[in-house]
Amino acid sequence: MKRLTDFRLAELNRYLETSGLSDALMPELLDHLACEAEERLWAGKPLEEVIESLRKEVDPDVLLDLSLNHKHLLAMNESLNDIVFENRNKLYGAYALRRDYGGNVQRATIIGVGIFLLMFLLPELYARLKTTDEKDIAFMVEAKTIKITPEKITPIAPPVVEPTPPTAKTVRSRPYEVMPDEQVPIEMPPPTVEMLENAQTGQANVDGESFMEFVVPPAEAAGTGKGDVIEVKPEEEKTLLFAEQQPQFFGGSQAFANFLQKNLKYPRAAAQAGIQGKVFVEFTVSTDGKIEKAKTIKGIGFGCDEEAIRVVNMMPDWLPGKQSGVPVRVRFTLPIAFQLE
Amino acid sequence: MEKSTSNEYVRGTLKTIVLNLLSDCDRMYGYEITQQVTERTAGEINLTFGALYPVLHKLEQEGLLVTESEAVDGRMRKYYSLTTQGTETARTKTSDLERFMEAMKLLLSPPGEATPSLVPKGN
Repeated sequence: MKRLTDFRLAELNRYLETSGLSDALMPELLDHLACEAEERLWAGKPLEEVIESLRKEVDPDVLLDLSLNHKHLLAMNESLNDIVFENRNKLYGAYALRRDYGGNVQRATIIGVGIFLLMFLLPELYARLKTTDEKDIAFMVEAKTIKITPEKITPIAPPVVEPTPPTAKTVRSRPYEVMPDEQVPIEMPPPTVEMLENAQTGQANVDGESFMEFVVPPAEAAGTGKGDVIEVKPEEEKTLLFAEQQPQFFGGSQAFANFLQKNLKYPRAAAQAGIQGKVFVEFTVSTDGKIEKAKTIKGIGFGCDEEAIRVVNMMPDWLPGKQSGVPVRVRFTLPIAFQLE
Repeated sequence: MEKSTSNEYVRGTLKTIVLNLLSDCDRMYGYEITQQVTERTAGEINLTFGALYPVLHKLEQEGLLVTESEAVDGRMRKYYSLTTQGTETARTKTSDLERFMEAMKLLLSPPGEATPSLVPKGN
């Protein structure tokens, strides 16, 4: 049996290397061709002829065809990563990352979902695995059947009807409104004094009992917060009994005496009855000197009181009383003497 | 011309041929396979190394074959043998090819002769 020399083998190897075969194919093809050559040598062909025929059969085109065929067949299983990293360093790490990405994501998803579910199921599992210990139970309550006797229904007392308070007699009285003449309603005259004598004012006429018990409205609550506010009222609002400067009849006391002498008339009835004495008339001199609220405090009757009031009301305006320079109302009591001559 | 047409048919059945050969023998190397094919078919079918080796590598990649390398006469020789999966695949592929060849026979034979052989099969 004839064998190829190492030199020939090396030559063949070089030839294959120059053709650019892949490393996976190289040793096999070398073996194959060597076998082929040996076979032919064995058949009795001269070495030169064998080499020549082999060279003809294994020309670069055939080798290229083989390479491509090989690559294409194997590439069917190649993924995108294999193509991307075909001529790159696969050991660097990116290739491994890419290759295992799918698996990693799948694993991560399963683990994540698992943990998530475990989180919810853990109390349930714990409750199942851990059998309740007798000692853990502090006490036990035995349930007894309770006889329920029907309750006696006590008759509910009828509600005491409280007598409605008697309606106070009211007379309709409304606050006045300022409106044009044509709009003023005619049928709403203010209550007369006679009507109000035994009644209260109200929103409507109610024919109730005429008792004179007035309900005093509760005093308004003191002003909220801010302490006491001292309100300075105008001086004229107050009616003083004595002022720094007393009101005075215009013209002085002499003029006043003349006025009385001239206007005061002795009532007939008093004169006939021989009544004489003093009538005390109280009146108020307002800030503008007018005589107001004249009334007798103490009288002697027989028309003398009325006469005194009449004269007092007849008086011309007085000089108003003054308090620290400001005119004030002053209440004045004046004795008027009725004396028979 | 004749050779190229035979190659055309061989290409589709090459996997089956290789698997079938390997199921008969324990292990084989590339050149041995080509020699076996030539021998068995009496030179009718000649496998070229250009067609054989890519297929061998492909089958290895698919896990049907395992390889072992041995140094013989100062060069590496790669032996191929079937895995269990490869044995199964060899069986199915062979039976598939046989059925295909039956069908081809029916297809290529004249219609008159084809019918009787088809009838017993149908029953």
